[in-house]
Amino acid sequence: MAEPLPRRGPGPALAFVVLGTLLLLAGSILGLAVAPPENFMGDVQRIMYVHVPTAWNAMLAFTFAFGCALLFLFQGGWKWDCRLEAAVEVGVFLAVLLCAQGAIWAKPTWGVWWDWDPRLTTTAVMVFLFTGILALRHFVDDPLKRATWSAVATIIAFVDVPIVYFSVRWWNSLHQLQSSPSTVSSVFHLPLRLNAFGVLFLMIGFITLRTRTAGLRLQGELAPPLPEPAAAPGLVPTRAGA
Amino acid sequence: MGYLEGGWEFVYAAYALSAVAFVGYGISVFLRFRAERARARREAPGAPEVSS
Repeated sequence: MAEPLPRRGPGPALAFVVLGTLLLLAGSILGLAVAPPENFMGDVQRIMYVHVPTAWNAMLAFTFAFGCALLFLFQGGWKWDCRLEAAVEVGVFLAVLLCAQGAIWAKPTWGVWWDWDPRLTTTAVMVFLFTGILALRHFVDDPLKRATWSAVATIIAFVDVPIVYFSVRWWNSLHQLQSSPSTVSSVFHLPLRLNAFGVLFLMIGFITLRTRTAGLRLQGELAPPLPEPAAAPGLVPTRAGA
Repeated sequence: MGYLEGGWEFVYAAYALSAVAFVGYGISVFLRFRAERARARREAPGAPEVSS
């Protein structure tokens, strides 16, 4: 569980972040300046190039957290707990950003910033559930209890992720159907794909670095207490002096 | 079916918000990693890291 690892710098994580940033910049330039406006939504549809990749990767982060929770419970190993913590935090970050981007897109197209529509409601529930897991981890001091409880809570919270994805098909929703290469015109594919991989690499970089932070903190929590400093001989209490 | 005219201010807002969020969160993750690594080195120099 506490196998020695060489002390590595943040290099691999930063490499993913740099690659993701470059892809996201390229995709955004194409989406803003090169891709044509959509037939009905016009230029506002360009928000799709950041909104949809954020949504895909938020759900991917929660799916990864779900996998980590199962592996921690059935296989064991602190590394799965560290990865779960990182994936949940990055997933919550992406999901909150997703809601903000969605609100900005909703105002000009639907006329409102927010609506209690099935897709938006289930997404809000997803954000609150996973934020609750982060809060749970913050308030539980015992590492084993924290890891076990948050793994169980992650499995329960993950039930909402497929509900979010299929909500637009299962219920009558203001939100359009899921965006994918089959539902999006081919002229929009390149910026969408570049941004999807850009956000994916950023997410991998963030999760990698955040996992190492969680590992370092756990190392401190699991380490035996430091020995008491040796006292000077004259200060050691003895029975005779008592 | 109508056609939505304009709306560039919403597009710029969405991209600017995303850029600020990614940069801000990235800096936060890096600073927390650096602080935790410094703490670990201070408390147990040379100790093995937990596999993560």
